[in-house]
Amino acid sequence: MMIHSGMLDVRKTGALLRGETGCIDTWIRQPRVGNLAVQLIWIVVGMGCYGAAMGAWRDSLQALYTALKFPLIILLTTFGNILINAMLAPLLGLNITFRQCLTAILTSGSLSAAILGAFSPLIAFMVWNAPPLTAAPSATSDLTHDAILLAHVLIIAFAGTVANLRLSQWLTQLGGSTAITRRVLFAWLAGNLFLGSQLSWILRPFVGLPGLPVEFIRPNALQGNFYETVFQLCAHLIFPGHGK
Amino acid sequence: MIDPNVPIPPPTIPPTIPPPPIPPIPPFGRPDSAPGDQPEEREPIAGVLAVAEAMLRQPRRVMYQLQQPGSGRLIAAMLAVAILCLGIYGLIVGSFSGGMQLWAAPAKIVSGLLGAAFICLPSLYIFTCLSGSQARLREVIGYVAGVLLLIGILLVGFAPVAWIFSQSTQSLAWMGFLHLLFWFIASIFGLRFLGGGFAHAKARTNAGLYVWILIFLLTSLQMMTALRPLIGKADTFLPREKMFFVTHWYHNVDAESETKH
Repeated sequence: MMIHSGMLDVRKTGALLRGETGCIDTWIRQPRVGNLAVQLIWIVVGMGCYGAAMGAWRDSLQALYTALKFPLIILLTTFGNILINAMLAPLLGLNITFRQCLTAILTSGSLSAAILGAFSPLIAFMVWNAPPLTAAPSATSDLTHDAILLAHVLIIAFAGTVANLRLSQWLTQLGGSTAITRRVLFAWLAGNLFLGSQLSWILRPFVGLPGLPVEFIRPNALQGNFYETVFQLCAHLIFPGHGK
Repeated sequence: MIDPNVPIPPPTIPPTIPPPPIPPIPPFGRPDSAPGDQPEEREPIAGVLAVAEAMLRQPRRVMYQLQQPGSGRLIAAMLAVAILCLGIYGLIVGSFSGGMQLWAAPAKIVSGLLGAAFICLPSLYIFTCLSGSQARLREVIGYVAGVLLLIGILLVGFAPVAWIFSQSTQSLAWMGFLHLLFWFIASIFGLRFLGGGFAHAKARTNAGLYVWILIFLLTSLQMMTALRPLIGKADTFLPREKMFFVTHWYHNVDAESETKH
């Protein structure tokens, strides 16, 4: 039987991306504080690089802010939901401990961070070639804006999909049941999406608007929430004259 | 002695044998076996933290221990943890308005849910007996304590999320909806425990249980309305006007949309 080292390091990135179950199973079954630190570093570096590339289009200071805020969203979402996620797993049939739950979610986060980090030079190149973000709209700037936005959506969706597929495989390996994995993963995803959307709303802007100053968070960040805004937008769409 | 003419076979790479999966947690109401069939389910539950962990990981162990003589201490421990957890969540609820609500909201949530459970307990016992179940009154009290405990533990799990939202909105209606959503999700898991207990008590039908669940949910909602405000501010500890909970929600949503427009 091949013995896998329980220690996680940067050289194991390939194993993480390939989803080598033996290796990852050892990390999740025998969680270590050292591994936790390495996963945090991966998330901070990978997401930070991507965030920097994203914010660089607006300003170098915005690049720094977004580099800090992007990993912060993942970490705050993970730690904000870890209690409920660790409680829901056994209630839905997956008998894992709090530390195993934290390790599994952070490993999935590290994987998406590795993917996003790998794509950050590509985004930086796109942004470097793009015309500067200006307040006056033109056909060229609109097209560039749409192309960059689409690239972000595709890359982030790809990273999220791969990370969750891998997480699903690891959970099935741990619990041995696809039905249980599906239930647990759905509950975790719902909770993370719910909190993650609100944290992204609080920590906006990530690219910034040319007419507004570069800032870490907006002055009205804590006034209103994401879901209220979506609800109000929908209400305005359905009843255009109401409340105006 | 190695013969240089004979090729040395490459070293064999041992295959990676994945470790066996962790056994899943059996469902609460597994009909093919009774709680206590497995040796680990017969281990006594000692300590307050062990009660909380057993409720999450080994609910059948809790069910078995509730059927044993001297389960009063376990029920007391379950209620103590439930009170602590509900108090913690109450503090988060009160943090939206601050001031007096920091102590009033925990007190109201703890007393409200305990009161609702106490009011509904006799009807649960009647429904249990009518359905042909062999559960004794102490066992039924234990199941209700289990419902409260699971609701409390899960609400503590939701507390960080609730706190983030309570600091980033001024909308009473939104916070009310969020707390109701969390309470409802926690109640589903809590009542699932009760359903598991009901299934193992040889009940012929679940109709009584379903009716009781509805009664308990409605009573809890009305109790929280009777003890309002939990989230917002008020001049008095208890309301001066009596109101049905649906009317109270309607008034709140209506008042908020009036303020916005």
